[in-house]
Amino acid sequence: MSLLSVEDLVQTFPVAGSRALVRAVNGVSFTLARGETLALVGESGSGKTTIGRCLLGLITPSGGRIVFNGMEMGGKRSVRSPEIRGKLQLVFQEPSESLDPRMRLHEIIEEPLRALGLDRLERERLVKEAARRVGLPEWLLTSYPAEISMGLQQRVGIARAIVSKPEIIVLDEPTSALDPTARAEIIDLLIRLQRELGTAYLFISHDLSAVRQLSHRLAVLYLGMIVEQGESAALFSQPGHPYTVGLLSSVLLPNPKIKRLTQLKLAGEIPSPIDLPKACFLAGRCPLAEERCRAVMPPVETVAPGHIVRCYRTDEVMRMEQAVDYFGQFQAESDRILGAGVPRDMR
Amino acid sequence: MSGSPNMSAGTEGSAAKGDPLLQIIGLTVEFPQFGAASRPALNNVDFSIARGEVVGLVGESGSGKTTLARSIMQLVPEPGYISGGRVLFEGRDLGTLGPSELRQLRGREISMIISNPRGELDPLQTVGNQIGNVLRAHTPLDGAGIRARALELLRQVSIPAPERRINAYPHELSGGMAQRVVMAIALACSPKLVVSDDATSGLDVTVQAQVLELMRDLVTGFGTSLLFVTRDIGITAHYCDRVAVIYAGEIVEEGPRDAFFENPRHPYSILLLSAFAQNERLRRYWLGDTTAGASRAREQGCPFANRCVRVQDRCRVENPERREFGRGHFAKCHYPVER
Repeated sequence: MSLLSVEDLVQTFPVAGSRALVRAVNGVSFTLARGETLALVGESGSGKTTIGRCLLGLITPSGGRIVFNGMEMGGKRSVRSPEIRGKLQLVFQEPSESLDPRMRLHEIIEEPLRALGLDRLERERLVKEAARRVGLPEWLLTSYPAEISMGLQQRVGIARAIVSKPEIIVLDEPTSALDPTARAEIIDLLIRLQRELGTAYLFISHDLSAVRQLSHRLAVLYLGMIVEQGESAALFSQPGHPYTVGLLSSVLLPNPKIKRLTQLKLAGEIPSPIDLPKACFLAGRCPLAEERCRAVMPPVETVAPGHIVRCYRTDEVMRMEQAVDYFGQFQAESDRILGAGVPRDMR
Repeated sequence: MSGSPNMSAGTEGSAAKGDPLLQIIGLTVEFPQFGAASRPALNNVDFSIARGEVVGLVGESGSGKTTLARSIMQLVPEPGYISGGRVLFEGRDLGTLGPSELRQLRGREISMIISNPRGELDPLQTVGNQIGNVLRAHTPLDGAGIRARALELLRQVSIPAPERRINAYPHELSGGMAQRVVMAIALACSPKLVVSDDATSGLDVTVQAQVLELMRDLVTGFGTSLLFVTRDIGITAHYCDRVAVIYAGEIVEEGPRDAFFENPRHPYSILLLSAFAQNERLRRYWLGDTTAGASRAREQGCPFANRCVRVQDRCRVENPERREFGRGHFAKCHYPVER
């Protein structure tokens, strides 16, 4: 049994002064196993943050089911129920905006524990442990957020998320506000914490190289719908949806020789989630779109075990796109380039 | 980069392009601070851009990359000031020009594109009007001519239905569209140098790819030089002829793109590259000491010494000189990586 299963999740928001609805999430289903990282990938407006917020009970879904540890969430059972409280946590995108500027770091980290009814000594012990795990020295804990760098602020955000020993952490673009070196540090930290604690991550991001570094499985969202889902490695080397191809070929890896070449160039930008296209959501931008793509929504098809795609023309996409693991090539090249000057036992 | 002959030629050709368009010599910019003396925001920077060349300047926040971009335009924000060195544009020392001469230069010969296009556009003026402002200030065009040129520019930056968009207000545009309008304004007078300060960082990846490709095509089409100031080293790998890495106000490494990425010399350049590596051991090695407080730049010696995994005693006292390692490939490091 998976730790979390989301079935046909729907989320709409009313538009002020109108009867129109923003259709942010349109029938999303996925599962998350213990200790696993599932990445939700998509551009702004794809609904990825909304999905994270539904899971955490910050908003009530308009439709669908969320089952956590065999318990259906919603109604009376929510994140506030004693059996769930503290088991789901969130790390935000902007560390500077998600930490209370008037609280000291140890108070920020401690806050989730206050809801759990632990005594003061136990809380202190857990705060120290969380701080140690994320690499925050004890002497720093009496500082205020404004006194430390963004990278350290994000470590505080992560310490606050792990302090209640959650089973799932929703990581909402935890690295996108950070500088490259701070980003690398945070990715390293998240990988190490998962290894030590066995926490499952729902990693929301549009940074595909971070996704490749962190995630086991990947779900690609477009206008609130999963258009492709599968094992990260498989999906990165052989994408089956034109939108995934578009995303992957936009990734700029720091090696001038390595880039996913493609004839599948997407035109334009993501349309408004108020007037959704009638059939395939990508039809207006896709170079392969044909009559049926504009007439009827393509069904979800399984192209390989655990790999699903929602596209009529997957076969063509897979034929056109060479199965080349550009990230793998890049990694081999970077091992060579970065390996120089590194002592043999450190490689 | 795929299918762009002018890009691959750039690596070899930068020296053959003749006199540099822009030449920065020993530029030092300081921001006075209370208390103890600190490192200047830019410390004795030498840097140049050839005609038609696309150069990437990579750095993290606080590295001085934006200060460098702004000092080209003589727009260092108060209380900062240029305390040493010169900025030569086509041989003219921009530091000696008066305010009106600089106004003539900005927008016409050198233009700048910053991130957050919405913040740069006036919310109360139509797109056409804002492009028109630049043309009115710098060209002899009249009403009808300005409108025609504005339409042409919108078409060049691939804005669909330009006849309709020319009357639009910025809030009616998406982020990608607004960024294209800003590009149209920057290119309106066919400047000789365009400085892009993190101009695509707020865009979604597929839109960023479109805008970057457009920017490079327009620039190569016009023979304009382009300076890409960015924190994303990936952009420089695919869109630039030459790459410079800035750390704590100093250009620590600089070189032709292929040479730089194949053979990075400075430990900080390698640290930036290692951020993308899947190999955890290598990544962690170059990241070095990540505990709190380790990352402050030193007041003497090499600015990177406190974070450097290859640091030796000499690095803490003596700031390394700029050394050439291959044609046009420079680094400032006592113990550069050898391959």
